[in-house]
Amino acid sequence: MAGKAGTTPTTYSPSPTTKKTKAPLFKDDDVDWVRPDGRGFPQCRPAFFRSGAVNAASGSAYAEFGNTKVIVSVFGPRESKKAMMYSDVGRLNCNVSYTTFATPTRGQGSDHKEFTAMLHKALEGAIMMETFPKTTVDVFALVLESGGSDLPVVISCASLALADAGIMMYDLVAAVSVSCLGKNLVIDPILEEENCQDGSLMITCMPSRYEITQLTVTGDWSTPKINEGMQLCLDACAKLAKIMRSCLKAATDSQE
Amino acid sequence: MVGLSLGEKHFIQGGIAQDLRCDGRKRLTYRPIYVETGIIPQANGSARVRMGATDVIASVKAELGRPSSLHPDKGKVSIHIDCSPTAEPSFEGRGGEELSSELSVALQLCLLGGKSGAGSGIDLRSLVVVEGKVCWDLYIDGLVVSSDGNLLDCLGAAIKAALSNTGIPRVQVTADPSSDEQPEVDISDEEFLQLDTSGIPVIVTLTKVGRHYIVDATGEEESQMSSAVSISVNRQGHICGITKRGGAGLDPSIILDMISVAKHVSEQLINKLDSEIAAAEAEEES
Repeated sequence: MAGKAGTTPTTYSPSPTTKKTKAPLFKDDDVDWVRPDGRGFPQCRPAFFRSGAVNAASGSAYAEFGNTKVIVSVFGPRESKKAMMYSDVGRLNCNVSYTTFATPTRGQGSDHKEFTAMLHKALEGAIMMETFPKTTVDVFALVLESGGSDLPVVISCASLALADAGIMMYDLVAAVSVSCLGKNLVIDPILEEENCQDGSLMITCMPSRYEITQLTVTGDWSTPKINEGMQLCLDACAKLAKIMRSCLKAATDSQE
Repeated sequence: MVGLSLGEKHFIQGGIAQDLRCDGRKRLTYRPIYVETGIIPQANGSARVRMGATDVIASVKAELGRPSSLHPDKGKVSIHIDCSPTAEPSFEGRGGEELSSELSVALQLCLLGGKSGAGSGIDLRSLVVVEGKVCWDLYIDGLVVSSDGNLLDCLGAAIKAALSNTGIPRVQVTADPSSDEQPEVDISDEEFLQLDTSGIPVIVTLTKVGRHYIVDATGEEESQMSSAVSISVNRQGHICGITKRGGAGLDPSIILDMISVAKHVSEQLINKLDSEIAAAEAEEES
């Protein structure tokens, strides 16, 4: 069959003529461009949370922000490993991993060490570790689909899962990131926007206490821009925490 | 781990509250910085930086590679930090791994800028030899020889010094650049190009102990910290990266205050470091 060339064109072979070149997201110095999903610059994606997604876990939560889909389960508090030394405060063990199909190019599905460390740092300040001495709480996050702003979604979802598990916390932790693209600050960036960003700022905070538990900045920022970005994030965090709270409330109401 | 008695802890905290630390410094004073360059002949550039008992080595190796398809006009830079068990017994085996990866990530965040390359201390476009085909890959390796606090600032300074010391061989491209094949390159071993290091930021870590914050904390002071914010600032006074360590939360206004303090401190640090690097380079040549 393969020998009969020129009779019928093979439909499945990729022809080099249809190669599309993607237009850049925005041109240099362009201030008024439209975001790929049609949102305004200071507008977040609609957030969806559902607690109690995994039955086997002490607490769990599922979060969906546009195409970013994350599931987090919390196990424990349970006895620390035998090799660990005695500790009169509890331990927090975190892990963030991606599924092999989460990213546009097929990944290895391995652990994401960077995010694991960031998740730990973002949560440890919010949990009352002294309430579970000698034990460990495990927080396992799995990114089902990566659609941009993965880490902030993981962190918010993890704090919801911790609350669902009944771990004592000072406050829920909400996380939001902004990207700097050209002259604009873009909140809650999607994957395409993240890939061409000039800088990014992520804040995780406890909105009711108005305290920042973790903050990372990369790229080139002037002080007024940092101010603007932080304010934007803090406002968004406060609103996000309200959504998370209402999700928890809805879960307990339905149980009664 | 630093073992301190209750009295010692109070002494450190009280000293910081009264703006007189255990070694006689004020809250915003650095320990003296010593820089040596060109200490590793095998590398393209290297430096050793000492601040008090903290001692680190940074080396830069350049290799020819292929640029990524996403950014065909840019070279690649990677940073890796190693914590030697000679510095502290707890670094033995896998013990140093956590700290190593934390430091590597923080340095990548602070020195390499955003994904598009904006805010990067190193101009990635200058590393390209043939667009889309050949570029220089810079491998920056840091080694912690001895640790007495403030590792991140010290490593940042060592990397800056090592990059100023780096000579990248001039490359002659022989094949036609328009053809699809991988061009042949001829690496000169006599002519070297210097990297432009004026844009590389310095890292200032502000460690919060009690209600005040200090720069260049020693290991003992770090054991008393509630949180620490590392801010990298370049010569123009722009922020190139921020990371936070330590569990305690911070009020947003305190963070903004820290940023302005870090900007002020970084000016002095950049000038001090530049003169030390120039002196070290002069000594190496003589």
